[in-house]
Amino acid sequence: MLPGKYRAVSGRAASNVNCGLHLVIQTSSLPDRNKVEFRLSKETPSFSGRLLQHDLERNYSSRQGDGRIISPVPRSRPSCLPSPASVADFCGLDVRAAASSIPALGEPPAQTLSRPRARQGCHSAGPNVSGEHSSLVSSSMPAFPILHRSTEEKILCSDRLTLERQKLTVCPIIDGEEHLRLLNFQHNFITRIQNISNLQRLIFLDLYDNQIEEISGLSTLRSLRVLLLGKNRIKKISNLENLKSLDVLDLHGNQITRIENVNHLSDLRVLNLARNLLSHVDSLSGLDSLTELNLRHNHITFVRDVDALPSLQRLFLSFNNICSFDSVCCLAQCSSLSDISFDGNPIAQEPWYKHTVLQNMAQLRQLDTKRVTEEERRVASVVAKKEEEKRRESQKQSLLKEKKQLAIRNIARQWEQLQQRRGSEATGPERPGSPSAAQDVSQAQGSGPAFPEEPGSPDAPPGPALADTHLVEVDGDTLSLYGAGALECLDRSWSTQTAGTVTTVCFTFIEFDDIVQVLPKLRMKFPNSLHLKFKETKLVMLQQFNALAQLRRIDQLTVDPQGNPVVSFTLWKYYVLFRLSHFSMQKINGTEVTQNDMIMAERLFGILAHVASSELPQYRLISILGDARKKQFRYLLDAKGKRPGLVSEDASDSRRLLTENTNRATLNYSTRDFFNERLEEIREKKQLCRAYTEGLVQEAAGIHTKAEALQRLWPQMFIELVRDAVVDIRSKDAFMKLSLQHIAQQK
Amino acid sequence: MLSPERLALPDYEYLAQRHVLTYMEDAVCQLLENKEDISQYGIARFFTEYFNSVCQGTHILFREFSFIQATPHNRASFLRAFWRCFRTVGKNGDLLTMKEYHCLLQLLCPDFPLELTQKAARIVLMDDAMDCLMSFSDFLFAFQIQFYYSEFLDSVAAIYQDLLSGKNPNTVIVPTSSSGQHRQRPALGEASMLEGVEAALFYQRLESLCDRHKYSCPPPAFVKEVLSNVQRLTFYGFLVALSKHHGINQALGALPDKGDLMHDPAMDEELERLLAQVPGLVNPVTGSPEASSLPSRTTPRVGSPWRPLHHTRKMDAESDGSTEETDESET
Repeated sequence: MLPGKYRAVSGRAASNVNCGLHLVIQTSSLPDRNKVEFRLSKETPSFSGRLLQHDLERNYSSRQGDGRIISPVPRSRPSCLPSPASVADFCGLDVRAAASSIPALGEPPAQTLSRPRARQGCHSAGPNVSGEHSSLVSSSMPAFPILHRSTEEKILCSDRLTLERQKLTVCPIIDGEEHLRLLNFQHNFITRIQNISNLQRLIFLDLYDNQIEEISGLSTLRSLRVLLLGKNRIKKISNLENLKSLDVLDLHGNQITRIENVNHLSDLRVLNLARNLLSHVDSLSGLDSLTELNLRHNHITFVRDVDALPSLQRLFLSFNNICSFDSVCCLAQCSSLSDISFDGNPIAQEPWYKHTVLQNMAQLRQLDTKRVTEEERRVASVVAKKEEEKRRESQKQSLLKEKKQLAIRNIARQWEQLQQRRGSEATGPERPGSPSAAQDVSQAQGSGPAFPEEPGSPDAPPGPALADTHLVEVDGDTLSLYGAGALECLDRSWSTQTAGTVTTVCFTFIEFDDIVQVLPKLRMKFPNSLHLKFKETKLVMLQQFNALAQLRRIDQLTVDPQGNPVVSFTLWKYYVLFRLSHFSMQKINGTEVTQNDMIMAERLFGILAHVASSELPQYRLISILGDARKKQFRYLLDAKGKRPGLVSEDASDSRRLLTENTNRATLNYSTRDFFNERLEEIREKKQLCRAYTEGLVQEAAGIHTKAEALQRLWPQMFIELVRDAVVDIRSKDAFMKLSLQHIAQQK
Repeated sequence: MLSPERLALPDYEYLAQRHVLTYMEDAVCQLLENKEDISQYGIARFFTEYFNSVCQGTHILFREFSFIQATPHNRASFLRAFWRCFRTVGKNGDLLTMKEYHCLLQLLCPDFPLELTQKAARIVLMDDAMDCLMSFSDFLFAFQIQFYYSEFLDSVAAIYQDLLSGKNPNTVIVPTSSSGQHRQRPALGEASMLEGVEAALFYQRLESLCDRHKYSCPPPAFVKEVLSNVQRLTFYGFLVALSKHHGINQALGALPDKGDLMHDPAMDEELERLLAQVPGLVNPVTGSPEASSLPSRTTPRVGSPWRPLHHTRKMDAESDGSTEETDESET
């Protein structure tokens, strides 16, 4: 093997300095105790000597304990021999056949002697030893100790070999033992599985507690059935391709991060992967005979593929990181499972844990190493049924919620588009007819019937999500309206109960001007609404709040800054307080209204109200107050034909409103549409008036001009008249005659 | 009635020029609009009230913008109404943004165009950082200039642009000398010298503008005064100077002097009375007893917004016994 050789060469060159490999092979059979020590040490000779001594002491004590070194497999008495080649290869450090000359196999070393000898060997390191074995380097075998057993031993236990606690750092070459069926290397320091490929009849291989980092060297052991590799340093399951008849595979206490390369082990019955670093369980297909799977003490968060194990009976998942049943749901399909453990997982802390497990795995006999009783089973099934129902309900809820979210998103998108379009339109005062109006209507009809009777259920319109243009939701005492189309819901007939319980109304993605138009309806249909919320409603001006004054009552007002630029104004709150002072509001945007706020509001805007009410000419006052009244009537008539009862009630209300805030009522808000309409009207009237006054003034001016002209001419005319008269009277007789003639003629 | 102008013009033109026609038209229009209401208390009464309110300047409250800007009297009345209504906002010391002032304007005139407010804000902010906060008085005086002399300022802007771009077709100054001056400027001047136009040149252009301008424009003497103080100035510099000019404000007569801007005892009294009515307020303000008679029309106080403004205010000041000196100087 390459690394070994390399080590040997460099070691020889550096003559007893580096390489930390320590191999101790001891035999403990009473008749011949051969002890061979190989030692490669990084440490200084003295230190390594100490170590050695320590090791020997340990060995010694153990030997005193039971008289044998290798305890777990009794009657195995192997004897070890250092291979000369390996001695040479181990870089010329102490190579000792303890208590005997090297070639001697059977010379019994005195136990008492082993210590000093070892130390001695350690001190009298290298040069001579390497020199001694230099001839053996040429051996074709790599540098490994070769193990031979006496024939006697072989006869005693021909098929087993136990090399437990031998401080082996490599697998020794085991010669002449082809019939060996059981090999035990427990508690050594072996880093690599080597030199056992010739043991083709091996059935049982125990390498528990070594330092193996990779599974290798097993490809020829086709008959191997039990492979114990617990407590090693294996990072990856590999090189098991030829071990087709493997029955037990123990890999616990390693560093394996995932299960792989095991799918061909169709005869495997037991797989132990406890205390590894697994984060999940999968790729288990093909393990058709697996009955026990141990996965305790990993970091497993989810389990898959377990249902692909037809024979699995016991599954241990204790002390992992399983948090939900969804991550182990495949277990429910695993009908052969009779014993399972989940303890030490987060999931086991849940109150519903046991019930759920029992419900989903009815065949279970043991759970967390406790027997499952009939009683438990029954309780579990009852609980599970309830939970199922609950789950269905919540699923329905969440589905609805999701739908609602979707609808809201859609509405939001449409709203944005609308805003953008409007932004790009060069401040066109006319509101473009909503293109989705037709859709709105159909949606409202489609979802309408079931809706008013079901408080608490969102009115998520069925059908393609893209068509969702509005959403109406009643949740407890809150009525939420999304999208302009939602305002139509106020036309519906609401059950008195629902209408009575609604105290909060939220408007989202609706232009305030649209809302203003339905306020009278809102006032009628939801008389108890006390809290209004506005979000994304394009509240941009203080005067818009005037519109809210027509409501019956508001206790709270919440205007979300999102989509409502007015909230950025410092004065908005005071203006609201001032204008809606007759409601004596309690909260604005969640903050309590204080006395100081009220006074401040009055201080800021009181004069405005005073000026508006006291300085407005009478006729204007009447017309403005009348406007408010008229407006209410107008919307009422628009909404629902004529309902005399309601109208009269409303009229009385508005009278009350007049008395309540005469000086404020002059501050009105008319929506842009309405205002533009009115301007149009005024313009027409103005033209008429202009024509009329122009006519009047022209006429008056004409008369005046004529009068002036007359005034100017009159003195002259008078003079002329007098002159004429004077001229006539100049000859008296002639005048008299003429006059008499006239009279005579007349007669 | 018998002024020489009166005789120089035909009746109709005279009436039109004096905006009498405007008011007559509007009166008839209002009558038409509210004929049901008005018929209840008589047409003669209506006309009396209408022309009374025109005299008092309260006729523009909550009217449409086209009417508010129709006559100089309406404009001045609106300015005065704005000042009266929102003086308290300024008194409170709040600095507001252009948009917020616009909202306040819209409370009095629902369709007040944003453009005008923006222009006024430009004067205050020297065409810079338009979303800055402004004090009430700054905004008000700038707004006064902008609103009252709106058409005049548009023409001034055009003239300024002409001058700035160097083409001054009907200039009186000898081309060589002016161009020589222009060449000198950059040599000796700093960056500030490069800005704006030459004041003298500017004034000549403005003078001729004032002569032929059919809309109202500030008294040329004051314009001259503003322009004679400096050598060069920018457009907004000019407007700022106009807006801060004491005399122009007085000539306009809608607003009090800057020092007295927050001073309106009549309204303060009224406000105290209103505050006393705030629900839940514990200590009633000791208001004057006769003030408690409800929406008592304060006709004697209001009077005409023009000259009497100073007059009434002075009387009030005397009764208060405060700020004697400043008032003396005004009259």
